[in-house]
Amino acid sequence: MFPETAQCLKAASSLFSQTVYLKELRRLSAHGGARRHFGVSRCLTAKVPPAPKPRQKVEIPGLEMVTYGERMHYVPGLSKPIYPGWERDYKDPRYYRSPPVQDMPLYKEKPCYVFSQRTSMLEGVRQALWLTKTKLISGLPPQLVSLAEDPANQIPDQDERVQNAIKHARFWDTTVERPGKEKYSNTLLINLMHLCATLQSVHPAIGRRILAEKYLLAATWKRGEDLFQIRGQNRLLHNCMDPLPEVSGKQEVADTADHVLETFYPVSPTIDLQKIHMYEEEVNCSGFRDDYPYPHAHTLYFLEAADARCKLRIDQFRANMLMFTFGNALARAHKLYGTQPQCVLDRPITVQAVGTNGRMFQFMVFQLNTTDLSGDNGVKNQVWLDEDVELYEFAKVQPLIKKKQVKVPAGLAGYKPDAFSKFLALYLHGAV
Amino acid sequence: MALSCLTRALRSLTVSQPALLSSQAAAQSNLGAQMPTTVGHCRGFLTTAPLEQNKTFWKQREKYTIRPIGMKKTGGRDHTGRIRTHGIGGGHKQRYRWVDFQRLRYESGKEAQPFEEKVVEVRYDPCRSADVALVAGGNRKRWIIATENMQAGDVIKTSGVIGRMAVLANEGDAYPLGALPVGTLVNNLEIQPGKGSEYIRAAGTNGVLLRKVNGTAIVQLPSRQQVQVLETCMVTVGRVSNIDHNKEIIGKAGRNRWFGVRPSSGLWQRKGGWAGRKIKPLPSMKSYVNLPSIAAK
Repeated sequence: MFPETAQCLKAASSLFSQTVYLKELRRLSAHGGARRHFGVSRCLTAKVPPAPKPRQKVEIPGLEMVTYGERMHYVPGLSKPIYPGWERDYKDPRYYRSPPVQDMPLYKEKPCYVFSQRTSMLEGVRQALWLTKTKLISGLPPQLVSLAEDPANQIPDQDERVQNAIKHARFWDTTVERPGKEKYSNTLLINLMHLCATLQSVHPAIGRRILAEKYLLAATWKRGEDLFQIRGQNRLLHNCMDPLPEVSGKQEVADTADHVLETFYPVSPTIDLQKIHMYEEEVNCSGFRDDYPYPHAHTLYFLEAADARCKLRIDQFRANMLMFTFGNALARAHKLYGTQPQCVLDRPITVQAVGTNGRMFQFMVFQLNTTDLSGDNGVKNQVWLDEDVELYEFAKVQPLIKKKQVKVPAGLAGYKPDAFSKFLALYLHGAV
Repeated sequence: MALSCLTRALRSLTVSQPALLSSQAAAQSNLGAQMPTTVGHCRGFLTTAPLEQNKTFWKQREKYTIRPIGMKKTGGRDHTGRIRTHGIGGGHKQRYRWVDFQRLRYESGKEAQPFEEKVVEVRYDPCRSADVALVAGGNRKRWIIATENMQAGDVIKTSGVIGRMAVLANEGDAYPLGALPVGTLVNNLEIQPGKGSEYIRAAGTNGVLLRKVNGTAIVQLPSRQQVQVLETCMVTVGRVSNIDHNKEIIGKAGRNRWFGVRPSSGLWQRKGGWAGRKIKPLPSMKSYVNLPSIAAK
């Protein structure tokens, strides 16, 4: 038995040296191919000279090259035959190659500028105002402010319950010592909406609403010579059975014709929008079917920290809010009045938006007066924007101590009831 | 890769003959008779795949981007792994901001018109001594080298037109040398029209446009050397930013390590003739005029 195994070993070792020898031969012969060798028994680390440049082939018209194609083997002195590339006559998805962009069915010569939820516009709100042909009015409309101040519309123990909602979001929601922004801003928003919904016994019209998450929006419009589309999804949408009443009257709408839109030369208004050539024209979808019982968008809720991959600065965030609010209104207007641009809509479409980062709130009321956005003249749309409303100043897990003095105590500090009353006013708008 | 290496090594060590190589095995056994059979050749085998070192994938980009690009440190080694430059290694991680040195790069569809751009941001750049500025104009954004007093919100102009009159240029504007008055402080000098600026880009430096001679311009570089270039070469007016760069106090040896500079050898060497006072004439003017331009190629 022992001599047998010895023989076997010998054979194996000879085999091994064979392979090494062959490998070295291969390395000497071919410069191309794999240059890494994993054997460490010999020197294989010498630098391989770079592959020589391929010889330039001269094409002489009318001169036929004599190739060794018919001989079916290499013959010195004869040229290499050139065969047409092989194309498989069956479909294999692994080796699919898309046709060039120009040959695709959706390809258009005219570019389209697309806004999506991750677009960060350089000029922020100013750019969004130009794109949507909108007049900016700072502060909320007066009827909404009066709605907020009316004591009949207030929740019993309002301030205490709101503070509890904040504390729940910031301290008591999870077992984590200090929940992240994306967590507590979401919880706070849901808590506040839940608080507002307790008024349903007083105002039963609140029950005619529904929340939608992750709906897909698409709308198309023309501004100047360019074609624009808004596509994508924002986080939360409050849908309603009844449309919101318009905020400003006919006279105020007619007065907006005198407003001059702000431009920002030398920067083009289409900067940072995605320029594409493959798109569907006339795409217009509010995200729901036509027979959806809650067709009217009431309020859009935006969270600043919702998308961890895309962090927008505050101005870009407001621009994002404005664009999506406009997109919702435009999709609804196109459904109601057709996609042909109309100078003045009979009934303006109002959509609200609330944006938050868990502490600051942005309130926005948008009124779509016109769908004729091509020129800079004529009636403009209107937006009321209340920026950076603080709900509270600090919510600290640990007190802030400087020079052995407690600057900010632990817990909730600096609660401001103004922000929630605005939130409530936007919520009750249309139901009172 | 490591697994295939391991299996190959193990296959060669197996006692039994590999079944799938029956036809080759016969040939190999013939060869083996001629070769001395020694197992001692095999000293070991690697179980880890080597990492691809010093590859410059991060540099190979076709489309311009303003996003900072992550760099890989070379440690002064070239592609073969040998030290090409001594004294490089370590340091804080840096990201590369792709500076567009060709200032007169027209936007597609708007050729041959002077254009303006707005400065969005001026910031520190780890890869160079000067600051960089993000400028936006039309439909694009790009990084350029900032000049001394450039601030966010400024509007800078770029023009390729050489008029009959010399222009009144503001700092940060870019013109061909022929359009500027004699005596202007310039930076970001091109030596071939259309190639992109190569000279006077370091922090706080500036050149002087000395004179213009029939289609060429003579510029004094920060080293006092004079170069003669075509008058269509683009320059930026003014002085490069970060003018106090040479007054910066490094403070300690470790701070140089943060910048990725390793200590020199420390070997004492006697000072020779290089250390004394030198009196030598200024180098003669260098001419780049007769070189063929990029556009002609």
